[in-house]
Amino acid sequence: MLQLNTEEQRILDGSHGHMAQKCMEFLVAYGEAAGAERLVDIDGTVDIHPNSVSWVGDFPITQEEIEELARKGEKFKVPTYANKPVNPGLIIDGWETCGTRPNNDPDYHNKCMQNLKPLIQMGMVPTLSCDYYLVSTFWPTQGQHCSWGESSAIPWCNAVLGARTNFDGCFQAAYLGRIPYYDLHVPENRLATIRVESESVLQSDMEYDLFGWAVGEFCGMDVPAIVGVGSPKINQLVKMNSALCTGGQVRMYHIVGVTPEAPTLEATKKSPKWAKQAAIGRKELRAAYELLNTAKTDEVDFVYLGCPHYSIEEVQKVAWLLEGKKCRISTWVMTNPATYRLAEMMGYRAMIEGAGANLLSGTCACELRGECPPTDVFATDSAKQAYYIKGHAHPKELGVCYGTTEDCVKAATTGTWQGEWRDT
Amino acid sequence: MSKPTPRKIVLKGRGVTGGVAEGEALVSPRPLMGWGMVNEKMGYTTEEGHPLFEVPFKGRVLVFPGMRGSGGFVMYGRTRAFDTHPAAFVYTRGNSVMYFASMNAKVPTVTDLDKDPVEFIETGDWVKVDGDKGVVEIIKKA
Repeated sequence: MLQLNTEEQRILDGSHGHMAQKCMEFLVAYGEAAGAERLVDIDGTVDIHPNSVSWVGDFPITQEEIEELARKGEKFKVPTYANKPVNPGLIIDGWETCGTRPNNDPDYHNKCMQNLKPLIQMGMVPTLSCDYYLVSTFWPTQGQHCSWGESSAIPWCNAVLGARTNFDGCFQAAYLGRIPYYDLHVPENRLATIRVESESVLQSDMEYDLFGWAVGEFCGMDVPAIVGVGSPKINQLVKMNSALCTGGQVRMYHIVGVTPEAPTLEATKKSPKWAKQAAIGRKELRAAYELLNTAKTDEVDFVYLGCPHYSIEEVQKVAWLLEGKKCRISTWVMTNPATYRLAEMMGYRAMIEGAGANLLSGTCACELRGECPPTDVFATDSAKQAYYIKGHAHPKELGVCYGTTEDCVKAATTGTWQGEWRDT
Repeated sequence: MSKPTPRKIVLKGRGVTGGVAEGEALVSPRPLMGWGMVNEKMGYTTEEGHPLFEVPFKGRVLVFPGMRGSGGFVMYGRTRAFDTHPAAFVYTRGNSVMYFASMNAKVPTVTDLDKDPVEFIETGDWVKVDGDKGVVEIIKKA
């Protein structure tokens, strides 16, 4: 049974206004469904998906209500970041030349951007990305309570930063600065029950992506302690997190000697004995690679890069690979709006567009639900995008080529897939 | 000759969303995925290779171990808007997004049971889900 303190009870009774009461009604219903015993004050951060700021239809927060709050000068109680807009997806930058409707329509674009303004007036930082954490310039610190709402971002908060979140970022949490306290807010639930060993030190970004997939499938929702991967780069952690929460639902993990709650293997253990153990090697990575590669032909007609949204280092890599070349097929390079500015300043937008590709920000092929260049064979360097795009295309039989960023750029400039791992 | 009594099993757990509903079980041994992997208008999973690929869940008691992937799992609950929603959910272990799916579907849901429902319930069993009491009654198919 959820217990509210005096202040929270007063909010529920309506003494802090109608919106506060509505938000508290949602937190109470959610807390009871979750079996939480209390709420916790958020001392970290929140993210919300514009256009879909509430998770449950019976607890709506309408655009009109948000406009009214903004007019009255109301602010979010805690630092709040914009995830990618959803339902529908929105191209923030590069829409003018994307070639697909309705995003290339100026009236549509301006109206959608206008709709974001009240949230921004309330304090939502317009990071507008699934990997807003890469550019937010403000992170929660270890142990702080958060409310994040993006599958690929949840392990960033929990595992990489050591802050604490469930998968529940929403308007109500941002407005009240509170969230039900249960599951990953509770220290003992963050400890590992599974030990996963990498048979070799992981090198490439793709290996981290495939490793994430394999670990996700093995662990489901449980917390693993990972040993033997080596020392991952930032991009590799972003990719691994995304795959961990596609092949599975690994919201929290430890990499011994790397992540903040894992100084030693012993420190990560929930009980003296592991519930499960696995060694993951080339065979498991290969199985994930085969699962993701479903195209029956090498003739690719659309290359999608940027899931999660590319960091500046990844945009740079693609810009340099494309410099002086010409794409033979539609090629989209997706980043977040802040990185888009950096890419413009560094001349990468010009390089990418000069090669006939599009540099875009704020959404992805899956989120656009078919609003992409027409495709029968889709190539990408992201396990998450490779897997989901087939579901989004259903009942159409879409072929997918999955491989390294280099494989994808080669496909873009030749129209042919020559995946590095294909025949090994 | 007396008719054999149908075998009845009772599992006890925690109600996520209240109400009582019953129906034929549809059991997934594997986690379910949302976002592009559920078609809420048709009321089935579009995940190729999944045991429930294109199997409608409307009116069934959907029994599964948990979810994986995107927060778009809530679309399992938004099937309510298309009248393709299950009669009830029974899941081995929940997370926030699964609770939101249950709240959107507005159907009884029980989780955290004393035994793993995926092991004790088979597709075709008749299952009664009491979300108020947190009880799942299973009448095994003949």
